[in-house]
Amino acid sequence: MNKTEKNWKSQFVSWVNGEREPKDRTLFVMERRHIAPPRPTPEEQDRRERHRLYRFLHGYPLAALIICAVLVCVLLTAVAAMPDFGDPDNPTNNEVAEHYLEYSYEETGAANVVTGMILSYRGFDTLGESCVLFLAVSCVTLLLRREPGCDEEDPDELRRRRQEDELRRRNPDVILTQAAKLLIPCIFLFAVYVLLHGEESPGGGFSGGTILGCGLILCSSAYGPENVRRFFNSRIFSAVRTFGLLLYAGLYGFYIFMGANGLEYGASFTMAIDLAVGLVVACTVYGFFALFSRGEI
Amino acid sequence: MLDLIVTNRFAITAVVLFGIGLLNVMVQKNLIKKVVGFNIMDSAVFLLLASLGYVDGGTAPIVGDVGFHPLYINPIPSGLVLTGIVVSVSITAFALALIQRVYRRYGTIELDELLERAKKEAD
Amino acid sequence: MIILEGILLAGLIVTAVAAALCKRLLNTVIVYMAFSLIMAVLWSLLQSPDLAITEAAVGAGISSILFFLTLKKIHGLKGTRDE
Repeated sequence: MNKTEKNWKSQFVSWVNGEREPKDRTLFVMERRHIAPPRPTPEEQDRRERHRLYRFLHGYPLAALIICAVLVCVLLTAVAAMPDFGDPDNPTNNEVAEHYLEYSYEETGAANVVTGMILSYRGFDTLGESCVLFLAVSCVTLLLRREPGCDEEDPDELRRRRQEDELRRRNPDVILTQAAKLLIPCIFLFAVYVLLHGEESPGGGFSGGTILGCGLILCSSAYGPENVRRFFNSRIFSAVRTFGLLLYAGLYGFYIFMGANGLEYGASFTMAIDLAVGLVVACTVYGFFALFSRGEI
Repeated sequence: MLDLIVTNRFAITAVVLFGIGLLNVMVQKNLIKKVVGFNIMDSAVFLLLASLGYVDGGTAPIVGDVGFHPLYINPIPSGLVLTGIVVSVSITAFALALIQRVYRRYGTIELDELLERAKKEAD
Repeated sequence: MIILEGILLAGLIVTAVAAALCKRLLNTVIVYMAFSLIMAVLWSLLQSPDLAITEAAVGAGISSILFFLTLKKIHGLKGTRDE
């Protein structure tokens, strides 16, 4: 009895002191833990990975070819059921198109029905598309813009770019400068003509804006980015872009909420909206070029 | 059969181009050729859309006193495609900017080398 | 007119396939420029002059400039590893 008591007491004391674990008296015995098979060696793993990649890269093109062939066959059967090409009784030539063709000149002031349609009848689509252009330039700026002093710069790139700039400043390219002297006035004149004549003849905001942007690109390539930055630097770029989009939104909102086709001076809205679209597109095109070639506007 | 092909020549070409573009996007290992394939798909869809608006004997939809013409083509699909062309070039520019960043980070734009280098860095 | 359209459509398919099969990236981009140009002519034949101007300016102009600039940045102007 003494021994058991001592045993019991000493056991209790040693348990309290943390020197001993009590006997396991759980009701449910836990299952044996599942032992994983031994991990393959790195070489074995490498070989398995490469084998899997090999099978994928060789089986995948065949599957892609089959999928594309099936898709083309299904679409061709759909094409066979389409109405005749050029048929005036097409379901797409309904009364909406007739209304646009007949009343576009009086209601929007545009003889070019496509321009009148995309800028006033369906102006929200064009607003969304201008937003897409704005967003695209912002995203490309986020990706590609390099501050002059940041340490992401590759030293070779930096040196090469400085050498190129020095070379261009010292002896500018003869063909490019002489051709630019002749072409830039013509390009800008043509761009303004296409932009302002969007209502009377083919053209409009998108084409005119693109040609304007191309003129700026030629300026920048022939005379160097510093000369273009004198009148079109980064702040003016952001300001013009934002102003164009806000002008479009404001004008078109005013036009729609104040009675749309019932306004007497509704015809001049189309030209102002055209100019706004042209500004946004020109800034987009030049922005893409500047960011791609140099990393800064 | 032959006159079916001749009548629907635009739609058939558009479908075939779409298939070629899709195959390019799926199978090409070079990222730039994938972007070119993407553009081909875009152009195919625009061709199909704009060919829906053509009317036999119609002329460009510019009304006015240029000379009375009784038949014009349908202007609506033309307007839709105009928006589409500009959006297509924005997406191309964004994709090319991403490719430049990928090259700066990994040093290659071939897909299998890219996967191997990314896997090596992840280990 | 149908013959002209047929030739141009066949040219579209030929340039699209050729752009995929080129070995050098520079050739791919140049063939893509030709594709855009044929597309611009097709828009004129479909009596949509707006689309023709926009496609010529944007497809054969801006898009190709961006491709060339990217090729310069990724040092791809000299050829891919297939050579």
